[in-house]
Amino acid sequence: MEEKILAILEEHCEEALTYEGNSMMEDGIIDSFTVINVVGDLEDEFDIEIDAKYVVAENFRNKEAIIALVQKLLEE
Amino acid sequence: MKSTAFKRIVILGYGKVTGEVLTYVQEQKADYGYYLEFIEHEIHPFSITEKICREHEISFAQIADKKELADYLDTLHEKTLIISASNNFLFPKTLVEKENITIINFHNALLPDYPGRNAPSWVIYMGEKETGITWHYVTAGVDEGNIIIQKHCPIGEDTKAYELTETLMNLAYEGFRELFADVLAESVIGKPQQFLADRRMYRSKEVPGGGRFLMTDDPYDIYRLLRSVDYGKNDIFPRVHAVYQGEEIEILRYRKVDKSKISEGDAFLYLPLDESNVLKIKYQKYIPQEG
Repeated sequence: MEEKILAILEEHCEEALTYEGNSMMEDGIIDSFTVINVVGDLEDEFDIEIDAKYVVAENFRNKEAIIALVQKLLEE
Repeated sequence: MKSTAFKRIVILGYGKVTGEVLTYVQEQKADYGYYLEFIEHEIHPFSITEKICREHEISFAQIADKKELADYLDTLHEKTLIISASNNFLFPKTLVEKENITIINFHNALLPDYPGRNAPSWVIYMGEKETGITWHYVTAGVDEGNIIIQKHCPIGEDTKAYELTETLMNLAYEGFRELFADVLAESVIGKPQQFLADRRMYRSKEVPGGGRFLMTDDPYDIYRLLRSVDYGKNDIFPRVHAVYQGEEIEILRYRKVDKSKISEGDAFLYLPLDESNVLKIKYQKYIPQEG
C-alpha cells in the first residue's frame, strides 16, 4: 500500500517524497490542485471514497499523514 | 521610488491567485510606498494568505459578513486601489462610485462572454475550445467594467473544471504582473465591453445540464458534463445524478480509460466513448438525506 501511495505522490508532487516538515501546504510543497489529483488517484487505486471532510491540510501535512489517512479509510 | 497616487491597496480574495497577487503587491510596496492590507471574506480550506500576511507583517482581517465588509470599505477615505482576485463579494454601487476608490477584478473567462459564477464549468459544458481570463475595472454591474487585459488558453478534450481553474489562475497572475504598474500609474485605457442583447449572467445556483444526464445521452456529452462540474472534493456543485436500471444514482467519480481496462462484473458503469476508450463511472444508489 505504502509503495502505491508514494508512486502517486511521485507522479504529482515529487518533493513530497523528500519533505520532512509538518505542513506541506504552508511550505508550498503541495497546493489544492495537486491535492485534487492525489485524492482522485488514491480513490481509484484503492477503490475508496475520500470524503471532503478528510480533504483538509492536516491530512496532507506530509506523506506519512497521507499514508495514515488511506490506512484508516481502508480499515473502515 | 516609483510614483502612484494610491495611498492604500486592499486585496480581497482566496486561493492560489490571491496568494500570488498578495506576494507580488507586497514585493512592490517599498518602491511605491502604499499601505497594504488583506481581507479574507471567504474561508478556503487550503488558504495560505494568512501565512503570507504573517510572514510579511501585512495587515490581515477576516470579514465574513457582507454588510460588515461593505461598511468597512466605506470608511476608506484616502485614494485606494481594491484588488479583487478570486473574490465573490459584490461591491455596492455607492462604493464603486466613490471618487477615491478604484476596484479591479479578475474574472475567469473572456468577458463579455460567461459573466457571473463558475465560468470554467460553463465553458467546458458548452464545448468551447478556448477560454481565458479578464482583468477589468469594477462598475456597479456584475463583470461589466472596462477591460484592462485578457489572456487566452485552449480547452482540451479531457480538461476538467479544476484543471482549467488552475490554468486560469496562472494566467490571471501573469496578467496581473503586466497590468499592475499601469493601473498604479492610472495610465490604462480600459476597453469597453460590447454586450449582446442575449447576454446571459450565470448564477451560483445554476448547474450545467441541471446536474443530471440520461443513459441514452451521447457518452461524450455525459463526459463533458462530468468534467464541467469536477472540482475534486470542493462541493461547488452537487454530485451528478442519473437514472440507471430504474434507480436514481449519483456519480462518485469517473475516468476516461482504455477499453482493455474494462473488468467484467465489477461495480463500475462503462460507456463507450470511441473505438479505444470508455467512460468508467463509479456510482452509488442515491439515498436522500433526511431533513
